[in-house]
Amino acid sequence: MPRVTVTVRDSTSGAATASVAYTVLPRVLGGYYLSGGADPTADMAGGNFRSLTQYRSFADAYIFPGYQRPWLITLGRSGVQLNMVLELKHYGAPDTGPQTFTVDGVRYTVPAPAMTIQQRPGTVWPKAYGYGQVIAGQCDGLFARALSQYLTMGFGVNIQLASELDTDHEFGTTEAGKAYTWAESDARAVRAVTYIIDWFTAKGLPQGSSFSVGLGGFDRACFRRTHPETLMDRLDFLQWNVYATSASHTALERFRRTKDWAVADLGPVALSRPVLIAEWGVRVAEIPDQAAWIATVPPAIAWLNAERGPLIARTNYFNSGWGTLRPKATGLAALRSAYARPPYS
Amino acid sequence: MAAPTVNVSMDPTTYSPGEPMLLTVNYADPDNQRLTVTVTVADARGNRSAPVSVTAVIDPLTVTVADDSGRTWSRVSDNGAVAVFRAVA
Repeated sequence: MPRVTVTVRDSTSGAATASVAYTVLPRVLGGYYLSGGADPTADMAGGNFRSLTQYRSFADAYIFPGYQRPWLITLGRSGVQLNMVLELKHYGAPDTGPQTFTVDGVRYTVPAPAMTIQQRPGTVWPKAYGYGQVIAGQCDGLFARALSQYLTMGFGVNIQLASELDTDHEFGTTEAGKAYTWAESDARAVRAVTYIIDWFTAKGLPQGSSFSVGLGGFDRACFRRTHPETLMDRLDFLQWNVYATSASHTALERFRRTKDWAVADLGPVALSRPVLIAEWGVRVAEIPDQAAWIATVPPAIAWLNAERGPLIARTNYFNSGWGTLRPKATGLAALRSAYARPPYS
Repeated sequence: MAAPTVNVSMDPTTYSPGEPMLLTVNYADPDNQRLTVTVTVADARGNRSAPVSVTAVIDPLTVTVADDSGRTWSRVSDNGAVAVFRAVA
């Protein structure tokens, strides 16, 4: 903590001193995600982009750096902080059956995913490896495969388990024919996530490795249920996503919603962790001037970080889905401008 | 001779990088006085020159600021009792 000391001297060398300490917060990392997990290098070039989110399914054979994604290694080596969202969700490859594969000479067989999530009525429910399957050790081969690839990367990343547990559980889950409520699903997920982190940690991870759990952050009770102190002790970040989807939404209000719940509901371990905003975005349908809204983000983050509570450390713009920048050039220019200002620079 | 006194304050004390920071210094010394001497010359017939003034400071004070993070603080105002310094976080 820096300290400034003032000395007042008179003509006979009489002197008085007084000092005051102050805090300069760490710079917030401005980040990005490009639709489809596409190569964002060109979009990030020349801008103060220092953080990136990526999504992978444990079901896929190529997680680190990902299928035909050598650029991820280049970005990571150049110092971009990677947030790798690793999901038990199956991304819908045609074959959702069991898998048999070899990792570092060890043969693993992993059963077909036995859970459904995101059970919104009237939609096709995605499959996912079940929390019960994870805890029973049936998915260890998936973790071994991911770890083996991770160790070839040469640098540490944040592993965010699940994209949004609240979105996954909002309409309950079903595993092996048994239905679970939202709250039951949250409790089961906490046990499964704990298992996965303990599995990885026991194996030894590269320096700079960290963990978080993914939440959209739109439901207070779910956020509380998924952040018990016993789990937070294993996590390095709090995480939630931020979207502006109404003309009345302000940056300060949107970024602070989940923070306020966290400050009110979570324990001291949780609140000691910095915040990783894995996704933030401005929906152009309701907010046609995305650039103007983006320009309000730096002062909002500075304001929130000057308050008590966990510090927002990284904010990754989600240039996809709700956050799609349209026109892209205008939106990117606004992002570059925002990330060139305090608290980002 | 009396010793000087000083108090310093910053509000807020937490800043984002790049933000301007203001430091307020309240200082005094009982011996410190600012005098103005005004001289007028008159002749025997009562003609008077225009007054000429000169200011003198008794026991002048110097204010120095040191920051252990190496930041440079520059003086933006000082009225002899309150000085304000500015730096960038």
